[in-house]
Amino acid sequence: MIVQAICFYLFAAITVASGVMVIAARNPVHSVLFLILAFFNAAGLFVLAGAEFLALILVIVYVGAVAVLFLFVVMMLDINFVELRQGALQYLPVGALVGLVLLVELILVFGAWVAGPEVAQSIAAPLPLATNVTNTAALGQLLYTRYVYVFQASGMILLVAMVGAIVLTLRARTDVRKQDINVQVGRRRADTLEIVKVRPRQGV
Amino acid sequence: MNDALPSFVPALPEMFLAASAMVLLVLGAFQRGPHVAREIGWLGVVALAVTAALVMSFGYERKVSLYGMMVTDGFGMFMSVLTLIGAGFAIVMAMRFNEREGVARFEYPVLVLLSTTGMLMMITANDLISLYVGLELQNLALYVIASFQRDQTRSSEAGLKYFVLGALSSGMLLYGASMVYGFAGSTNFDTLAHTLEASNASIGLIIGIVFVAVGLAFKVSAVPFHMWTPDVYEGAPTPATAFFSIAPKTAALALFVRVMIYAFGELVDQWQQIIMAISVASMILGALAAINQRNIKRLMAYSSIGHVGYALIGLAAGTPAGVRGILVYMAIYVFMNIGTFGVILCMRREGRLVEGIEDLAGLARTQPMLAAALAIFMFSMAGIPPLAGFFAKFYIFMAAIDARLFWLAVLGVVTSVVGAYYYVRIVKIMYFDEPKGAFDPGIGREMQAVVLISAMVILFFIVFPSPIVGAAELASATLFPG
Amino acid sequence: MTVAAIFLPLLGAFIAGFFGRWIGDRGAQIVACTGVALAAAFGVTLFVDVALDGHNVTTQLFTWLDAGDLQVQWALRFDTLSATMVAMVTVISTMVHVYSVGYMAHDSSVPRFMAYLSFFTFFMLMLVTADNFLQMFFGWEGVGLCSYLLIGFWYDRPTANAAAIKAFVVNRVGDFGFALGIFAVYALFGSLQFGAVFDAAPNFAHTPFIFLGWQVDALTVTCILLFVGAMGKSAQLGLHTWLPDAMEGPTPVSALIHAATMVTAGVFMVARLSPLFEYAPTALAVVCVIGGSTALFAASIGMAQNDIKRVIAYSTCSQLGYMFFAAGVSAYSAAIFHLMTHAFFKALLFLGAGSVIHAMSGEQDMRKMGGIWRLVPVTYVLMWIGSLALAGIPPFAGYFSKDMILEAAWASGSRVGLYAFWLGIIAAFLTAFYSWRLLFLTFHGKPRADAEVMHHVHESPKVMILPLVVLAAGAIFAGWLGYHDFVGEGRESFWRESILVLPDHASIEAAHHAPAWVGELPFAMGVLGIAVAWIAYIWRPGIPGVVARSLRPLYLFLLNKWYFDELYDALFVRPVMALGVAFWKRGDGAVIDGLGPDGVASVTSRLSVRASRLQTGYLYHYAFVMLIGVVLLVSWYLLRQIGS
Repeated sequence: MIVQAICFYLFAAITVASGVMVIAARNPVHSVLFLILAFFNAAGLFVLAGAEFLALILVIVYVGAVAVLFLFVVMMLDINFVELRQGALQYLPVGALVGLVLLVELILVFGAWVAGPEVAQSIAAPLPLATNVTNTAALGQLLYTRYVYVFQASGMILLVAMVGAIVLTLRARTDVRKQDINVQVGRRRADTLEIVKVRPRQGV
Repeated sequence: MNDALPSFVPALPEMFLAASAMVLLVLGAFQRGPHVAREIGWLGVVALAVTAALVMSFGYERKVSLYGMMVTDGFGMFMSVLTLIGAGFAIVMAMRFNEREGVARFEYPVLVLLSTTGMLMMITANDLISLYVGLELQNLALYVIASFQRDQTRSSEAGLKYFVLGALSSGMLLYGASMVYGFAGSTNFDTLAHTLEASNASIGLIIGIVFVAVGLAFKVSAVPFHMWTPDVYEGAPTPATAFFSIAPKTAALALFVRVMIYAFGELVDQWQQIIMAISVASMILGALAAINQRNIKRLMAYSSIGHVGYALIGLAAGTPAGVRGILVYMAIYVFMNIGTFGVILCMRREGRLVEGIEDLAGLARTQPMLAAALAIFMFSMAGIPPLAGFFAKFYIFMAAIDARLFWLAVLGVVTSVVGAYYYVRIVKIMYFDEPKGAFDPGIGREMQAVVLISAMVILFFIVFPSPIVGAAELASATLFPG
Repeated sequence: MTVAAIFLPLLGAFIAGFFGRWIGDRGAQIVACTGVALAAAFGVTLFVDVALDGHNVTTQLFTWLDAGDLQVQWALRFDTLSATMVAMVTVISTMVHVYSVGYMAHDSSVPRFMAYLSFFTFFMLMLVTADNFLQMFFGWEGVGLCSYLLIGFWYDRPTANAAAIKAFVVNRVGDFGFALGIFAVYALFGSLQFGAVFDAAPNFAHTPFIFLGWQVDALTVTCILLFVGAMGKSAQLGLHTWLPDAMEGPTPVSALIHAATMVTAGVFMVARLSPLFEYAPTALAVVCVIGGSTALFAASIGMAQNDIKRVIAYSTCSQLGYMFFAAGVSAYSAAIFHLMTHAFFKALLFLGAGSVIHAMSGEQDMRKMGGIWRLVPVTYVLMWIGSLALAGIPPFAGYFSKDMILEAAWASGSRVGLYAFWLGIIAAFLTAFYSWRLLFLTFHGKPRADAEVMHHVHESPKVMILPLVVLAAGAIFAGWLGYHDFVGEGRESFWRESILVLPDHASIEAAHHAPAWVGELPFAMGVLGIAVAWIAYIWRPGIPGVVARSLRPLYLFLLNKWYFDELYDALFVRPVMALGVAFWKRGDGAVIDGLGPDGVASVTSRLSVRASRLQTGYLYHYAFVMLIGVVLLVSWYLLRQIGS
């Protein structure tokens, strides 16, 4: 138990710290790297909670795909973040004050957390975790029964994202020569050739 | 593990709409031809109509399904139909505009359909999770629609602003939802209502509700979470603006009402204060800031902020009469906005779209029918009897008075008076200022129909109010158990 | 027939007014004249039927108001009093209509004029046939409106507009009293029907009544309030200032409205309400004193005026004073008798004056006339007839009625009656004097107009002379024809219940037994006045100048109409104007507009600028505003939680 606790606090602390660094780092590449670090630690927290499937998904999808993509984009775009941040920094004192107030308030709120008996009851009810089923199978069973509606809807969201990306970026380029087999096959002689009878000594 | 695949029948409208969106997407991708966008658009309208028929086939009865994820009831039906109508008109209005602006692409109606699917999910959501997913489905499509005119900076800017702030508000909503889950132990509306009935709410739960309310207030563009509205309305292509001001607003308000009245109905004393605060702020800002606008789309943005403020009065009342008021209000609001944007879309001079209020000068002499229609909409928005807009406000204020929120009603009337100034000013500009030259003729048959239909609804509401008011009466009753 | 008599003029006014453009000047004249002529025919028939044959009729038209206890009907009440008035009004009106055809021939808006005249006739008939106070008030206000419209008929003249406004405003003062009187009647009797009120009047004699915090006799207050209304309409001392100015209107208007009919409405009203006034002796005394004072006062001013119409206007004022003090000594029948005869000869005088003005190319100043009697012989003769009637020379109409009034005043035996009698005697002298001054200045002596005008002097067309002849006949014969029925032996069976005189107020009866000198004195004074006028203006034309110079203050006093206008100007007009300006500039402009519409508007637009300035376009501003909103809401709930 002690080890678990130590691990939890370690992971949690590093997650929070790297989260702060994501915002605070001057170099955007560093920011992304800190983000990756935060993901790793979050995955560690999932493992501690017994959700190893989620932990691995987090590493594979977020670290392996999303964050790396981020990194590429950041490196390719070459945005001067310092300049971009100039305006925002002007309001840092006020912003910090407001943020601080919110933080204090939230701490106050969470400090007063008392879960009522009914609450505990309803928390327990919707999670039919069977010990004899693997993590992955349990998730699958939930996703395709209880949450199938929202699961499908999430798929729709991804579709929208795809359509959106295409709509906003795809340009039909007219200045390139492309092979269109349909056009090639569908060509008729009449489309391209004109038979002209030419009498001798008269020219065309 | 005794969970099984649930029956999808209650989700038939959403599924049909999503499926037709995908079919149209495929169809559009493989279709070639100059009018493909228009054809897909009309098919989309047909799909919306079929969906509306499906929605209505369920009737007013309240039924929870899909493991408590979704609920079908009269309230949802009313708002869904309204949203579908708005979406249909938005597609029709966009056709000609997109063709003229060179962005006639079949993705537009498809995105509208997908977004509308999200709205239907929001309206019928019975769980914070389905709420959120529906909301995101809607939003993502809207972001894309906002920057649909991708070659124009301001359109892209509008999309980006909408996206960033929308993400922020979604974050707040999620944060609130997680707090609600943490303090109440469930995300299901029925369970939440049940739990709250049994025990007092902790402060954490209330703060959670505050965050949820903030997220929803952003969607309905209530002050102070309205900041995106003027910029997005101005920057987005006009048909997109029309769509924004109609369908998502209706859906978000429906969601707002359902969450507050149904899920957190026990805490009405608590959240009433938030609603009153943002309602008052919206009414005042909507009335004041609009006065100074030169761009009619921006003016419509503030106008919509103000209208949301009035509608929220009905929510603040927290009574069946208040909800009925909201339903009637939104129904009339939808038609007023459809008509107004229909006219705005006809404001074209030498092939270019003009958006300045001053450009309307002398419209009464150059295009009397268009001017008359816009005058009807403006007077209606100002709430002048016997036009429909008056009754919209009337039901809301009556509900507020019945709920003993006198000062809220008084403030509503005062801000209506201030608001009337800028609505009537448009009429004045159209009828009394020197003409600036006619708009291009030939607004297209479908635009004529759009303007005509909405003008008829606004004009003759006083004669046949029962279809809307009666349905609203039945629909609002389903939201209050027992 | 009753309905036709009243509503035909309205129909004529309607057609001439609204369709004047289509039917043209001639059409409008024909329509309007036909309307009133038919009404006059009916009116005379009704007079014979109702007054002479004794068939009172009341025609109920329909219910006007039915609100709680207050029920008011539209009804036409025909008894001797109203039938007399209807006949007189319609006949005079017809004459004036016909006369106007000639007089207004060159005007640019003939249909409007004819419509107004007919419209006025309708309201006057409504007034006299009213069956209740409210209907009377309706007619009362209606004639006031028409008077306003007709005085200001030439609306492009500033003086005409000013006169119209003055007439309207001064009448408002009177009407306010009248309205209060009506309220008092309703408060006392709970009804506005004449019948009900008159029946109940004896029960309310000596009933106390709280008015403005004083305990006063109810009927006295009511009657005095009603009399204030009469004073306004009939231009009695204090509220008379509008009448001379009203001469700015066309002359037929002066004849019809400001001599023969409308201004006598006050007298009619007092006579109509005799069942109330009889039980309020104090009010009668007030009526008598005011009437007597007006008679002398107006006559004294008439001596010094130079405008031919103004002289006649003051004469009207003075004659109205006679009628009032007759009513004040309960000689209502004498008042109405004089009213009737006066209508004829005063209309005659006005129309004759109009004919003179017409002849003199619009000149109204008598100092620029003279020596035209050979050129306009018919007018000259008619003016003589009118003046003789006015001065009370037998056998002209004025002799019978004025004599009876003065006798009644003397015979009433009361102190106020005697006061009125002596003032009336002096006024009779003055009346004769200024009448002949007018005749001499206008028709005799050397021509004082320039040659151009003299060259154009001509007799008026037949259409103008004919009505004058009819009126002259009235001025000659009305007196001895009416004497028997109005104030003579036949008066009981003539008036029947339309006028009530209490037995101990029977001044007419007493007048018949007055000593002979009382009857002869007015005649003697009249002759004396004529003689003095002859001496001053024919025999020794230098005298008036000498008198005016030697008695300069008095002359100026009279010339300036006792400085009433100046007094009112200083007393009411200027303070009220100052107050109005203060309210307008400071109160309304600075305070109400400043804080109200303008202030709110400017604050709103300033707020609007600020509100739109919030919209900077920067994303982080927007996000920040949202965040602040969240913090505010969260803090609010936390603080509430801690507080509770």
